[in-house]
Amino acid sequence: MIPGGAAGTGWVGVGLRAPHVAEILAARPPVGWLEVHTENYLGGGPAPRALDRIRREHPISLHGVGLSLGSAEGLDRAHLARVVDLVKRVEPALVSEHLSWSIAGGAYLNHLLPLPYTEESLALVAAHVALAQEALGRPLLVENPSSYLRFRHSSIPEPEFLAELARRTGCSLLCDVNNVFVSCCNFDQDPFAYLDALPAAAIGEIHLAGHAENEADGRIILIDDHGSRVSDEVWALYARALERFGPRPTLIEWDTDIPALSVLLDEARRAEAAIARSRAEGGRRALAA
Amino acid sequence: MPSLREVESDLRRALLGGDDAPARTRVRGDGLEPAARLAIYRHHVVTTLTAALQATFPVVCRLVDERFFAYAAARYIQVEPPSGPCLFEYGAGFADFLAELPACRSLPYLADVARLEWAMQRALHAPDATPLPIRALQGVAPDLAASLTLTIDPSVTLLSSRYPIDRIWRANQADEPEPAVVDLADGGTRLEIRRCGDDVVFRAVDPPVFAFRHALACGADLAAATAEALAADPALDLGPALATLFGDGLPIALGRTPSTPGDDPCQRQP
Repeated sequence: MIPGGAAGTGWVGVGLRAPHVAEILAARPPVGWLEVHTENYLGGGPAPRALDRIRREHPISLHGVGLSLGSAEGLDRAHLARVVDLVKRVEPALVSEHLSWSIAGGAYLNHLLPLPYTEESLALVAAHVALAQEALGRPLLVENPSSYLRFRHSSIPEPEFLAELARRTGCSLLCDVNNVFVSCCNFDQDPFAYLDALPAAAIGEIHLAGHAENEADGRIILIDDHGSRVSDEVWALYARALERFGPRPTLIEWDTDIPALSVLLDEARRAEAAIARSRAEGGRRALAA
Repeated sequence: MPSLREVESDLRRALLGGDDAPARTRVRGDGLEPAARLAIYRHHVVTTLTAALQATFPVVCRLVDERFFAYAAARYIQVEPPSGPCLFEYGAGFADFLAELPACRSLPYLADVARLEWAMQRALHAPDATPLPIRALQGVAPDLAASLTLTIDPSVTLLSSRYPIDRIWRANQADEPEPAVVDLADGGTRLEIRRCGDDVVFRAVDPPVFAFRHALACGADLAAATAEALAADPALDLGPALATLFGDGLPIALGRTPSTPGDDPCQRQP
């Protein structure tokens, strides 16, 4: 189960990546839980066998990148069936996906692509989430994407879109605080106002990661590359998220230029400390009131 | 207002190197040209899929150098993007694509090296299977033995080439500082590629053994597979050939009809 103890330990997990598998198996580091990318474990061979061993020691979260909940051409039922089989095998504590699409015309584009936020998209994504939850027999967590473009005809703000999706389907939301920061910076929006617009009760998990700063035509564009430590701005936003949502299972994600496991564990300790601080402050506020 | 299907179709075209004009009209500038915003996504699609191909075909990449590999991968991604989200399954058609690429004509062995790397990738991720003990044959009535078929471990590929692709592969491993000289005139090879435990291995096999196992893997019954093996070597002794087949742990099930047509291993042969 996630999270763990009353003292706030065990709330924070790290993304399990191939270079760290042997060390995790050998050293059993003190980490609350581990998250893996679902699509890397849908075949046979050594990877799923290692996961079978790891899940005996650590709670697992399955984080999917391939369901393509926003595909106009419908869900890939064969892929969903493979995910269902893996969920049965791994018995994960959490199962999550993204508010995005990746498949069009039968081609998988390997990117969490943005949706126009319209009533049509909302109805379609809600139907797909309901279908996936029915097949999985459990609620799904749906993550806010990091975005580099918006569509002219989008009419619903992203946090409202997510809130309505959660209301219609009963799904939970995975609030990626770095994605909030990246998207808001890329569209000159206030990330704190974004957090305030999310329904606190629906938030079931938080993601933290690093981003890169790129320049495009003289303008700074933040790229969600998961290739560095969490930035100070995102830590500040995380503190606000904890204040507003309460403590939530939190993941440190790192996917490019993957460092030593100790660096991830160091980031995880920082997140645990933020949760402990937030709980203490919450307690003080409750006493004062 | 455009339908979601139209929006996604326009974006797909823009991201796979086609006309991005329709997608541009859908995108808000927000202080940047819509084309520049689309380019951020296109860059991610091409670089991450190229990295996936590079991880599956490291020796091909080493043989042609990284810059040419990136060029070939970008072309391949356009004509044959992944059909599903498991990237370890992407690249089945890369060898055939390289075989047809005019710029690769000076490397006639390249496509077969890609076939070897693809067979290794398939082996690594193939479903786990339990070998069938040879005593399973004891229950087969003698008059049915000729029409018996054997399902072969799904990690196995039998691959033949006119070039010494096994030696080319070994000479181009990352831990080989100075690639050995491989003489193409040394001739071809017949390889059996499979997963053993957690490791992918390959080895050269003799022509009659290759013919026997290749026929069985294609779903041929014992009579037909034996005929193939005897055509390669009329002196072949079938008893030991069958015993080593089971000893190597290749058969995983008995049958009397060809294995599923959806994954016909013969389709993977050059």
